[in-house]
Amino acid sequence: MTVRFEQSKPQFTGARVERAEDARLLTGRARYLDDLDFPGTLEVAFVRSTHAAAKLVSVHAEAASRMPGVRMVWTAADIHVTLDSPEFGVNQPVLAKDEVRYVGEPVVAIFADSRYAAEDAADTVEVTYADLPPVLHIREALQAETRRVHAERPNVMYHQEYQTDGFEEAFGNALHHLSATFTLHRQTAVPMETRGCMAAPDGATNRLHVYVSHQSPHGFRADLCKFLGVPEHAVRVIVPEVGGAFGIKAMFYPEYVVVALAALRLRRPVKWIADRSECLLADCHARDGIHDVDVAFDGDGRILALRDHLMGDSGAYPAVPFCGSIGETSLAARMLTGPYKIPHLSFTIDCTYSNKAPLGAYRGVWGPPASFVQEGVVDRVARALHKDPVAVRRINLLQPEDFPYRTASGFVYDPGSYAESLETALELVDYDGFRKRQREDRSRGVYRGIGISVFVEPTAMAASEAGDIPYEAATVRMEPTGTVTAALGLGPSGQGHETTMAQLIADELGVDVRDVVVLHGDTDSAPYGGGTGGSRSGTIGGGAALTAGRKLRDKLLALAAHLLEADVADIELKDGAAHVAGVPAQRLTVQQLATAAYTDVNRLPEGMKPGLEVMARYQPTRPITFSNGTHIAVVDVDVATGQIQTVDYVVANDCGVLINPTIVEGQIHGGVAQGIGEALLEELKYDTEGQLTTVSLSDYLLPTTHDIPNIRIRHLVTPSESKGGFKGMGEGSLIAAPAAVVAAVSDALEPFGVMVSSMPVTPDQVLEWIDADQEKKVDSVDSKVYFEN
Amino acid sequence: MAGKALKRMVKLDVNGTCYERELEPRDLLVHVLRDELGLTGTHIGCDTSQCGACTVLVDGEAVKSCTMLAVQAEGCSVTTVEGLGKMGALHPIQEGFWEEHGLQCGFCTPGVMMAAVGLLAQYREPTEEQIREGLEGVMCRCTGYQNIVRAVANAAERIKATESAEIQAAVAHVGERS
Repeated sequence: MTVRFEQSKPQFTGARVERAEDARLLTGRARYLDDLDFPGTLEVAFVRSTHAAAKLVSVHAEAASRMPGVRMVWTAADIHVTLDSPEFGVNQPVLAKDEVRYVGEPVVAIFADSRYAAEDAADTVEVTYADLPPVLHIREALQAETRRVHAERPNVMYHQEYQTDGFEEAFGNALHHLSATFTLHRQTAVPMETRGCMAAPDGATNRLHVYVSHQSPHGFRADLCKFLGVPEHAVRVIVPEVGGAFGIKAMFYPEYVVVALAALRLRRPVKWIADRSECLLADCHARDGIHDVDVAFDGDGRILALRDHLMGDSGAYPAVPFCGSIGETSLAARMLTGPYKIPHLSFTIDCTYSNKAPLGAYRGVWGPPASFVQEGVVDRVARALHKDPVAVRRINLLQPEDFPYRTASGFVYDPGSYAESLETALELVDYDGFRKRQREDRSRGVYRGIGISVFVEPTAMAASEAGDIPYEAATVRMEPTGTVTAALGLGPSGQGHETTMAQLIADELGVDVRDVVVLHGDTDSAPYGGGTGGSRSGTIGGGAALTAGRKLRDKLLALAAHLLEADVADIELKDGAAHVAGVPAQRLTVQQLATAAYTDVNRLPEGMKPGLEVMARYQPTRPITFSNGTHIAVVDVDVATGQIQTVDYVVANDCGVLINPTIVEGQIHGGVAQGIGEALLEELKYDTEGQLTTVSLSDYLLPTTHDIPNIRIRHLVTPSESKGGFKGMGEGSLIAAPAAVVAAVSDALEPFGVMVSSMPVTPDQVLEWIDADQEKKVDSVDSKVYFEN
Repeated sequence: MAGKALKRMVKLDVNGTCYERELEPRDLLVHVLRDELGLTGTHIGCDTSQCGACTVLVDGEAVKSCTMLAVQAEGCSVTTVEGLGKMGALHPIQEGFWEEHGLQCGFCTPGVMMAAVGLLAQYREPTEEQIREGLEGVMCRCTGYQNIVRAVANAAERIKATESAEIQAAVAHVGERS
């Protein structure tokens, strides 16, 4: 039976199905958070700290209370909730109390009839600060004598050490060694829709309805209820259309508590939508890490041992529910050997507090830093030995016979196309041809470089920024008309789950994809689930959709067999009907079956319950499935202006079985674009006083149409053990891309002895290198002779 | 009082409908479109005119509606995404975006489409370079722009095909009459 059904597949799974979401998105009918409006809604403006570290001497908001349209003003004296992180012993008051610890920290909340009125009132608030010396750098925070960001806690808030047995011996006995420091500056995700939240008491149910632009509806409800001290059935969370999220919307923030409590206090809707400056100041930040790396290798370029001291800046508070610095460093440390067979690993992790915004999740999380280090190490070994970077990769890469492969940190990789992806990408970009042309280019003063990034992406993990939910749930209901309503606990923000999940369910039920509607984002309709994050939705959510769909299909088959008086093994279910194999005339449409199931229950087989509705949870058998691939970037560096232009880009990507190649390619395009931004443009800059100087999109540079080349993609398919054979792929492109781009810059500027070790690389930096191009050239392998920026 | 000024009646022509609203001189066009007229398809992404999510057509030209006061739009014809096309009768740019997967989260999409319509009014058969140049003022965080560029080229093809079909029909019609 199963086999026969499989033969008619796939109709939709694997096909380039156009997205169901687009109908509303293209016509202006979608409803994002700020598009929702209820009569009597108050809007909120926050007065935020303008000082990085200071005692709050006084907060005068009386004048604001008297401004026209202002309904309420709150300071820390009015709201006593703190975002608790018990494991760190540090709690953030939702409105700063006694002390401010970063610029942008909320201090006063003003509730008014309009945002205009609230902002006018905010201008009248007077806050007096007594400055403290701000802590702004990781290495400074690591010093015991540095002022504590939290007086009662040391600045080092997380420390971990790990070493493989025999590391010291392997490291010491190696023929060659080199050292490098890798620095990643601060960034943030910048979804085009800013963050926000609206809370409205529901008169009918006496519950609180909370509308929020978020990735995990149930996770958000759990956090909100915990901080408000209310039971979960008293709160309904509704996630409307989400205009991009990328990790920052997996986090919980102080503003959400303020909005929800104000709505409860005032018994009216309260809404806060961040403006872009607030986002840059107070969305969680990402990266901001340093890696002090030592590597040991042999004369062929085989890497024998890798040591990294990973340092992460947590910002002023551990972000709830996912402390970004720990997430970035601890997973980066464990993934540091990437796709390479490096037997020995040693790492030390230190995460420290600072007077900067809290660090949370941004797409890829640990990945861009780890790839930067891992690929940077390989390229340094190659340059030190005067070998081609491809040759060193081929020597170190995992081969098909190595799987399943246990890494030096104890992860077990399921099979992937590691070596094949490199060869595929090299062919796509015409690597050998490029090298020939490069020599001619250089003789003409044209500096064009090529950079390779072979990546491994742990996906569908049991725990991620989407929480510690290792499963996903789906309800699938066939309505009496034969159409299908499904609901999942996912929190999509442009990934097209309404389409991909419908594809899977439609194939299971043998119906048209247009006859399946997929709901999500409402805790009243969706079964409890983990939401979207950590590249889990396709694999775990897809597995849940398949499991529920299969369960419902089995019932439909049993019902059809009974009504058609045939053996269940002979029933085929496709094109909206069940029929007996070889006897097409003997058939019932799914509508006829559904009608029978709901309204003609006397005809049901003995023991079959009425209705066609199932709920199923799916938890993958493996705690992680690893996607892989290779990115190759080609950049031009103008040595006169310092400008860097990405001129070509290829990707060989293996995420197992594809549900919808068009959507997968879109995810890759977007991740590469963010990676080019990370490598060349995006940086949150704090000055020496701890002021964030990049508070608009004219200072925080996002890639535009001119920064991103067309990307050529080839898919490889190594199915996972997960149901459907899927692997996650939402982050791999951002994990791989920055390393590829900076490697290409290093390659372009190889004649100047440049090896990039800090991201982003800016034109100023390039010009400094060119100016400083003195006689320093690589001439010995054991000394650090090339520039480290 | 800070920022407050006398309200006055303003007439606005949006998507072919005439609206009269009492507005403050400081009210931005984008806020009036969204909050007063309920046309929430136009989005706000940055407040500083970098991102272009708020792009609308004013007398056929793409304008960032967060940088224009509503009073400045008086006497002009404003087109938003809601005036572009409807299901069953989509504008070629909407068809192009759908077919080429030119959108993911959809937040920037209305602004990008309006900028593209402005661009296509300027170039009948735009090159890739002209499309990229023309869309430099709109930001998308999801797509990496590649499929947006393809979507605009797709729309240009559709417009050309429709026009040539119309010409052929007109020629055939002339032929019938003669």
